[in-house]
Amino acid sequence: MKCRKCKALAAVALPSHNTAFCPDCYPVFVRSQVERAIHRHKMIAPGDRVLVAVSGGKDSLALTLLLHELGHDVHGLHVDLDIPGSSTDARAACEGFFAKLGLPFTVVELRREGLAIPLVKSRIKRPICSVCGKLKRHYFNKFALENGFSVLATGHNLDDEVSRLFANTMRWDASYLSDQGPVLPAADGFARKVKPMYRLTEFEIANFSFLRGIDHVIAGCPYSGRASFPVYKSLWSDLEGRMHGAKVQFYENFLRDGRPVFAAWAEHREDPLSPCTVCGYPTSAEVCGVCRIREMVRVESEAPRS
Amino acid sequence: MIHVRLEPQGRELRLPKACTALKLLRELGLGVNSALVIRDGELLTPDRRLNIGDEIVVRTVTSRG
Ligand SMILES: [Zn+2]
Ligand SMILES: [Zn+2]
Repeated sequence: MKCRKCKALAAVALPSHNTAFCPDCYPVFVRSQVERAIHRHKMIAPGDRVLVAVSGGKDSLALTLLLHELGHDVHGLHVDLDIPGSSTDARAACEGFFAKLGLPFTVVELRREGLAIPLVKSRIKRPICSVCGKLKRHYFNKFALENGFSVLATGHNLDDEVSRLFANTMRWDASYLSDQGPVLPAADGFARKVKPMYRLTEFEIANFSFLRGIDHVIAGCPYSGRASFPVYKSLWSDLEGRMHGAKVQFYENFLRDGRPVFAAWAEHREDPLSPCTVCGYPTSAEVCGVCRIREMVRVESEAPRS
Repeated sequence: MIHVRLEPQGRELRLPKACTALKLLRELGLGVNSALVIRDGELLTPDRRLNIGDEIVVRTVTSRG
């Protein structure tokens, strides 16, 4: 196979785009996809201070590199989950990467919040992945607001977005379907959230990370074994294999035709947000989700172990 | 022999004769968009030929949460 742009020997074949690229031209293609997403959805304005949520995986580190190369003012934030055999490597990958680029970087340690994931997992019966996701979102958002960042960027890719959209569609979860998308505007107590890599698949980002020598962690989270997303991901990868472009069409057509309908529906029945009575964070309940988790962990810790 | 290492699982296997990267992926039960095929630090597209004596890394593409 030959590179579409320069006819050199190709390194990456992309059936969904019906094309292939050499090692020099491929990163340019990836950058243009991200640039186009940012431009089309007006994700980042000139002068925005961008906080990038980084996990140590290829997606968030690639996002950091791309935003930096596109000239945006980026600062990294990592939430250290304190999971044995996983978190130390993840944190080190982030630290090394930001040091190499000379970009500012901060770590929030859940252990210091009394919410180390193994502790939370041992105290709370709910699936740990959803609790962990909730905690991460909370601290990313809190840090962004308290430190004057106008945009919070995450490394979500097309596969993440499609499998989440598909999961929500399977349940016809109208309230999730009303606000899923690559941009969530700022609202009372919530930073603006953007997903500049939403048009790139996991495979496309993996190739980019390899060619640009991004030193990321490869092993997954030891707790994520039974999440339902991997099922949807493999289903979609089969579908994409038979119908090139199915993923991006499913997602883009939802954004164009589906989401507005659900968003109009949601306007009538939005629960108003008010400050959490414990920490002041906006919530639709009296006490916010994170404070409830904190309380559950505390109560369980004080109860006699059976 | 073609020597193949699977990442991140760390599994190793050997193939007795030359084939293409596509054939290797098929044999491993992987789709063309689910793994990188790497030889000497170079990415191979599915049509590339693998030869006896090659050391190949097949890295499945998965992201962490
Ligand atoms: Zn080229
Ligand atoms: Zn609270």
